Amino acid sequence: MGADVSAPEGGGHKKGPGVKKQTRKDTKVDMTPMVDLGFLLITFFVFTTTMSTPKAFKLNVPDDTAKDEEQTEAKASGAFTVLLSKENHVYFYEGQLDAEGKNFKSSNFKEIRAELLRKKANTPEKDFVVIIKPNEQASYKNVVDMLDEMQILEIKRYAVVDIAEGENALIGVTEGTPAGGK
Amino acid sequence: MSKLNKIARKSTWVDMTAFVDVAFLILSFFMLATKFKPPEVVKIENPKSVSSENVKDKDVLKVSFDKDGRVFISFSNDKDGKEKAQLTAEVLSRQKGLGLTPTEISNFIKFSVGGIGVPVQNLKSFLAFSDDEYKSFQQPGIPVSDTLNNQLNDYLGAMLTGTGGRRPANVMLNGDNATKYPYFKNVLAAFKKNGIFSFKLVTSLEGVPSGTPLYKTQNKK
Repeated sequence: MGADVSAPEGGGHKKGPGVKKQTRKDTKVDMTPMVDLGFLLITFFVFTTTMSTPKAFKLNVPDDTAKDEEQTEAKASGAFTVLLSKENHVYFYEGQLDAEGKNFKSSNFKEIRAELLRKKANTPEKDFVVIIKPNEQASYKNVVDMLDEMQILEIKRYAVVDIAEGENALIGVTEGTPAGGK
Repeated sequence: MSKLNKIARKSTWVDMTAFVDVAFLILSFFMLATKFKPPEVVKIENPKSVSSENVKDKDVLKVSFDKDGRVFISFSNDKDGKEKAQLTAEVLSRQKGLGLTPTEISNFIKFSVGGIGVPVQNLKSFLAFSDDEYKSFQQPGIPVSDTLNNQLNDYLGAMLTGTGGRRPANVMLNGDNATKYPYFKNVLAAFKKNGIFSFKLVTSLEGVPSGTPLYKTQNKK
């Protein structure tokens, strides 16, 4: 019994009479269209994806309605004032502004860091305060950059204050346009 | 010479299976990582900062201003955001005598996901828009420049009245690089006036410059 079923001789039953010779088809499948489809979908997702998620920059603003005695006082000697103007122009002065504008200096966003660091190192921590005064030509980017600079340099006390008329005029003189380029 | 001619011609068939594998691997990565861009009516380029905290998307009140100083207000598209949008519309309608219909209020909720930037007096006609009209309409922005007519104040005030002073968990300020400072100042003024003293600015990430104090503190840990 067992001998009958098993052991087809030689090439097996294919070679038997009446059995047509089956041509073996190639089992290879052309994957090229599938690749095309895959990459088409990839491009779609690449374009619709937002990879860089926006980040949150915390900002606390003081309550202006607070009573005068509750407000923090800044010692003039420890103050460092940064003035922001159009086209990323940065000006600064230490302490109080000289009547003739002698300590009024021009700078830029790269050099201001060294100045801030120097001032920070030379001033007692409790006195050190940075006052940021953007004028009307300053952009939002400048203000945020300067606030960011406070984070980078770990300056704890800083304030964004409206620019004074005299300071704006000085910027105007420096930039060659009257009244701060208004 | 004769040797060269004898080189057997190989089949040009390339097995693409591995390629397919790679393609679909990348595809699945993108499908999982994708978060579709939220609908926005204005294009805003954010400034950079070293801040690495991610922006949250639950219970958000977002005030955006573009480079021309057009101000928009938007709420998130979740339960809390919708509730706050609805309350804002209702209170605004009552306070300013706009007489908004329920359809218009539901439109306010719908439009507020993308951003609403129209003066209060134009709000009723704006809310009568269809979705397509909303998309094609150039919104003038909420007026803020005039200190007497800072209407962002009205919007924020209406929202806080509606919620009984309960402010959204995430107050965001989304500003464009090129916006001039006075707009930012006026938006801040409206926030301050409504007692919102703590909020977040939307920024994109930038590396901490080496050698700075923050860099040193971060590397100490």
